[in-house]
Formats: sequence, structure tokens, C-alpha cells
Amino acid sequence: MEFLSSLISMPWLDYSISGLVIGSIYALMAVGLALIFGVANLINFAHGAVFTVGAYIGWTCLVGLGLPLGVTIVAVAAVSGGVGALIEWLAIRPLNRQSRIAPLLATIGVALMLDQIIHIVFSPTPRALPANIPDWRIAVGNGTIGAIDITIFATAVISAAALYAFLFRTKLGMAVRATAQDDDAAKQMGVNINAVNMTVFGIAGALGGIAGLLVGLYYNSIDPNASFQMMLKGMVAIVIGGMANVPGAIGGGLILGLIESWGIGLFGASYRNLFAFVLLLVMLLFRPNGIFARGKERAAEPMTGTFVTQTKAITLPRPLIWVLIGVAVILPMANMPYITQVMTNAYLYGLAALALTLVSGTVGLVSIGHAALVAIGAYASALLTTKGLPVSLGIVIGGAAAALIGTALAYPAFRLRGHYVAIGTLALGEIVALVILNWEGVTNGALGVFAIPPLEIFGLPLYGTKASYWFVLALMLGMAGLQVRLLKSHLGRTWKAIREDTVAAETYGVSSNYYKGLAFGFAGFTAGIAGAVTAHQWSFINYDSFNLLFSVLILTMAILGGLGNVSGAILGAILVAALPEMFRTLAEYRMLFYGAALVILIRFRPQGLLGSG
Amino acid sequence: MKPLLQLENVNSFYGPVQVHFDLSLTVPENAIVCLLGGNASGKSTTMKTILGLQVPKSGKVTMEGRDITGLPTPEIVRAGIATVPEARRLFGDMTVRENLLMGAYARSDKPGIDEDYEKVLDLFPRLKQRLGQKAGTMSGGEQQMVAMARALMARPKLICMDEPTMGLSPLFVDRVLELIATVRQTGVSVFMVEQNASMALSIADYGYVLQTGRIVLEGPAGDLLADPRIRSAYLGDTAA
Repeated sequence: MEFLSSLISMPWLDYSISGLVIGSIYALMAVGLALIFGVANLINFAHGAVFTVGAYIGWTCLVGLGLPLGVTIVAVAAVSGGVGALIEWLAIRPLNRQSRIAPLLATIGVALMLDQIIHIVFSPTPRALPANIPDWRIAVGNGTIGAIDITIFATAVISAAALYAFLFRTKLGMAVRATAQDDDAAKQMGVNINAVNMTVFGIAGALGGIAGLLVGLYYNSIDPNASFQMMLKGMVAIVIGGMANVPGAIGGGLILGLIESWGIGLFGASYRNLFAFVLLLVMLLFRPNGIFARGKERAAEPMTGTFVTQTKAITLPRPLIWVLIGVAVILPMANMPYITQVMTNAYLYGLAALALTLVSGTVGLVSIGHAALVAIGAYASALLTTKGLPVSLGIVIGGAAAALIGTALAYPAFRLRGHYVAIGTLALGEIVALVILNWEGVTNGALGVFAIPPLEIFGLPLYGTKASYWFVLALMLGMAGLQVRLLKSHLGRTWKAIREDTVAAETYGVSSNYYKGLAFGFAGFTAGIAGAVTAHQWSFINYDSFNLLFSVLILTMAILGGLGNVSGAILGAILVAALPEMFRTLAEYRMLFYGAALVILIRFRPQGLLGSG
Repeated sequence: MKPLLQLENVNSFYGPVQVHFDLSLTVPENAIVCLLGGNASGKSTTMKTILGLQVPKSGKVTMEGRDITGLPTPEIVRAGIATVPEARRLFGDMTVRENLLMGAYARSDKPGIDEDYEKVLDLFPRLKQRLGQKAGTMSGGEQQMVAMARALMARPKLICMDEPTMGLSPLFVDRVLELIATVRQTGVSVFMVEQNASMALSIADYGYVLQTGRIVLEGPAGDLLADPRIRSAYLGDTAA
């Protein structure tokens, strides 16, 4: 009873008001994503970066130039709208004829670049945004509403109204709606699809930028590292609302804002993002068309087999492979400890990329949550060995844990396809990170795990960089060899059949879930031991060691080498992980380098350097 | 009769696969021309080539003597070619009125659009009561009407129809034929791609038969209807 009465006495009205205010900002983010998903059939991962651009333009106008809020809002809308349109023109339009995953990956690259540019121009630390909005609050029932709440909510409502006027009262707006329903038919009516796409990216950018400014006003500060989180919030909102459904996106944003606000009231702020992602997963699994759709059926995505670009893979001649392996083996003899260390690191990335290229390339489930598998392996081994378990056993258990937990977590997502796999795996990755952060009793929470014992084989410690180099190299080559063998077996053919056409494969009696499970299991084991060895190498890990950026990096490596290509994954890992380390100037602008690499690669060599297998 | 649309020696490819082999055909002014052919004969590719959705490797598409090969689709629509796409492809979540206005998207003469709007509704009076209804909620036959009305809204000189009778009940097939004849009476030419040969030839002036990318037979519709080869291939006349 005491619990109940304390529950009732909580300031629910205040929670609801702040939930609606934040929700209206999420709604602005979501509307842009929904519009873009509608006309371009694309989840725009750069939407969060445009949000951040808006926040900084707002800061420049309000603080730097001392402009009034009204002018600032217009300026923010104009600049971030322009950035949105530029993204369409430079990064998306050239990919017209490529596989469906290509533009999605390009927006990830653009997001990395924009974020780093903002870091370079404005410094990577948050800064204050004094808004000069009067701080009065009026009492409403047992809660209060302030001028800031009204300002934000009104701005969001006016923006939404302007969007509606555009969509339903103008000719171009009508073309946008028509294109969203059937772009081919719209084209045959004489609609210039490129102009429509650019318009939509512009509008989405403007709304996203305004959202950035509003969040800044609400918290009195702006954070250059908020991009991905905000983009994800918008994405959760459109999943709730039904992807391309604009009114649904608004509803989804408000619902997400309310649930978050209530949830924080009940459980505390560190759980904030967990609600969003659990909600996302639940929606994907049970109502993939959103809560406003009548049916439960997910609209068919005609993308099987075309989601990932397929080409003929380049097979390296056997003698060359042996020569390369030979060079790798004798590399430490050159006595350049820095290079040896960098390469050890690259091989660990290579292990993780091997796992991803199997799941995403061979089986066709493009994962943006790969870091979760690595993190599970790392934590399992780190936690067990700090309690006395031998390291070599810890590594194996780490791999097994990642295989089991990873497969179990991903299992419900096996029936998803295309974009939904990308969203679902992303949510899984975030959820694993958040569980690690919040499960303090086991994972030590935000502090992380310290003093993880160094690498050893059966009690024989590996002293020095050379020994660990050889150990990691052997591990990577061993797993790569095993993967090649598997791909040549009937298992490999079945995996590819599922990738090409899951339905067709099932009609031939292939139980696709079973084979997807095997792929995830094998990949999970590889990724898990990669994580475990990394943990012993670093001796310290925390919830942020294997974050979204890590997942994106691994994906970049796998794409660079050619999705599904075993030697490609290793080559990609070496290029992406080692190159920036070799040139210190590059290291400083690492994200810019990764982002640009991803964008350029997808534009000019979407099949990767060695071709996708 | 003056030629309106002409395809001259068109060769199209999908990757390495050749779809059209020196395809040539003519649609004269104020005529109904049909292109017959079975599955995979290259019918739909012909449609795509005319509309600029597929660019041929060689050959020419001209409209009133003007070369329109490879122009962007909006340009081709402005040159006077409207479409009734395969399976109609209406904008299902938009109202009938909006669908009709989408048909006039490439135009900017507001008074002319208003005028055509009235005209089209007089031609299809049933649509008048349905203007506010979402197009996706209508029956197949009504949707076909909207699709044709939408095409007319472009004030085209030529309407290309991709299998206009596909998926319709036999009862409605006759109705669609009447509609096509009505459209022609407004002075618009119709180029129709069909599998249903007897039906298409019964209203067409001229016909072409396409087989694996080549025109194997052509002639006035009446002649083709009587041709034993057509009868055996398309009309199930095994006696021939």
C-alpha cells in the first residue's frame, strides 16, 4: 500500500507535460524521417547530424550574433534545410541504381562526417545556450507549465501545421505524397522525382534543425555528441507510427516522449534510452506496421536479394595468400613495436569483421548492432577471469556466451528483412550496452571492469607485443580458414540461398530460422572471442568500449572488403583500423576519414575492394 | 494518316540480355494501335522505352517528328504522352480528385486544367460522386476509369495503356473497351499493349505482334483477326 500511495503521489502531471514537450521535439525529428522513408525508401541516419547542425546554427544566431529567437528559428530552418538538400544531392542521388542498402550506408557515412566537422568547428564539448525565455511557470492542477514549454510546443505545432499546408495545399506537396505512394507512377505523371526527393530532404532537414534548436533551449545547452541518440529517437517514433506515416510519426513522437518521461519518473534517468529501444524492439516484433495501422502484416519489402550488391568475388591466388600470411608472420621481426601493436589491433577488428561479413554478407542480414556480440564476449571473459578463471578458458566462454546470448537475442528478429533488420540489430546493440550500463551488480555499471588479466595460453602468459601479435594472428587466420571451409560446404550454399530469396529457400524445405541461427551462432563465437581477446589486451573495458560507432566501423570494414568476402573482411579491417594509426594527422580526423571512406566507397565501389561473395 | 509516335530500329538490353531486336512501329494520329505478345515478348519494355523509363542502346523514339529517345519521363509527358500503367497504379491513399490533378501535374495552364477536369468528369460521370473517395477503396473497374481520366488530364496526344483489361471481370472488359473507344473519339491516339488479342484487335485500327523482341506480324486489325497464325497463336483456334 505504501508503494501504491507513493506511486500515486508522484508528480504525474509534470511528467506528462515534460513528456509532451520532449515528445513534440521527437515528433519533429520523426516527421522528417517519415517523409524521407516515404519518398526515398530510406532510413536517413544523417538526420541526427542535421539536428546537431541546427543546434549549432541556433547557438551562433542567439549567442554569437545576438539575434532574436524568431529570426533564429528561420535561420536554423534555412541552413539545416539546405544541409538536408545537399545530403540528398551529393550522397543519395548518385546511388539511384544501387542496392537498397547503399543509400542507408551512405547516410551513416555522412553522419560521421558532419559530426566530426561540427567537432572541428565548434569543439567536441557541450556548450551553454542561454535562451532569454522568461522563467515563469503557471500552476496547472498539481503541476506547472512554463514559458519554455509553451514556446517549444508552439514552435513544434506551427512547424507541423506549415508542413501540412505544404503537403495538402500545394502542387509540390501533392507530388510528394504521390511519390511516397508510388514513385514510378508519379514519374509517369511527369513528376521530377529528384526534385521531390531534394525537397523532402530539405524539409526534413529544416524540421530536424529546429528540433536541435528546441532541445538546446529546453536544456539550456547543446551537445555535439547527441546526433545518433536523437536520430534513434526519431526512428523509434516512426516505427511506433508506421514508418512512412507522417501523422503517425507525430503520434509516435508524443507517445515516446510520454513513455520516456513516465519511465524516468519511475526508474531514474539512466534508463531513459532503454525505454526507447525496448519499445522499438517490441514494435518491430509485434506491430511492425506501427500502432496506427489496421493490419498486423508488415508491408512486403521487395528487396530480397537486392538489398546487398552482389558481384563476382575476386579470389586471391593461393600462392599470394601464403606470401601474405608469411609476411604477416615475420612482421614483428622488424622490431617496430608500434606497428606490431597497431596490426594486432587490426587483426582483432578483422576477427569481428569476419563475423559480420558472414551474417551481413553471406546471409544478408545487415547488422548495425555487431558491437553487442563483441561486448558480450568481452564482458563474459573479463568478469570471469577477474574472479579467477584461467584466461584461455575465459576467451572460449566469451565466444560461447556471445554465440548463445547473441543468437537468442537476434532470434526474434530473424523474420525481419531489409531495413527492419538494420533497425532491429541497432536496437539490440543499444540495449546490450544499456543493460551493461545499468546492471551494476554484475557489470560494475558505468565504472567498467578494471585489471583484466593479460593474455595467456593454458597458463603460459604472453609477454610482450610480439607474442600477443602472433596469438591474435593465429586466432584470426584459424577462424578465417574455418569460415572458408564452412562457406564451401552445403551450409554455405544454404546461407546464400536464404540471402537470395528466403521464401524460395523455404519452399525447398530449408528452415531459414535454423540456418540463420547457425550463422549467428558461428559469427557470435568469432565476435565473442574477438571481444574477449580485446578485453585482455586493453585490461579495461566499459559499456562504451563497444558502441554504435564500433558497429559502424566493423560494417565499414566488411563493406570495404566486399560483403561476404572472407579475405575482404581482413583486408578491410587492416585498411580501416591501421591506416589512420599510421598517419597521425588522419587519426585526429578519424571520423571524417571513416565517413568519407564509406561515402566514396559506396558511390564508386559498392561491391567492395575484393567483391562481395 | 500522319504518324504521331514512331519507334525506329530500337535495340534494348537488360544487362547482357537483348530484349528488342530492331523494333520499329508507328502510331498514327487519332488511331488505336495494339501491340500483342505473350509473356517475355518485350511488350512491357516497349512501354518503358516510350516513357523513357528504359533507354535503348540504339534506335530512336520520335513524337511528332521530335526525337524523345532517353529524355527524362517528365519531358516525355510534356511532349504529349500520358499513360495508364499496368495494374493502373493509382495513388491509393489520395482522393479521386487528387489522382485526376496528378494527371495534370506536368501542366501549368490553370484554366485549361479546370476545363479538362470538367470535360473528363462529363466523360466519366460516375466519378463525379466519388471525387472525395480514396482511390484505393474503389472497385477494379472504377479504378480503371480513374486511371483513364487521370491520363486524359494531361491533355495528351497519345495515351499508352499497359494491359488495360488485366485483372478485370469479363463484364467490365467490355466496358473498358467502350471507354478506350470513347477516349479515341476525343481525338487522342491510344497505344495499347495486350495479351488478350481478340479483345484488343476488336477495337484497334492496326496491330503488331511481338515475339521474343521482334515484330513478327503486323497489319490492319481486321486482317490480323482473320490471320490463321494469330488465330492459332492467340485465339486458341487449333483447327488452323
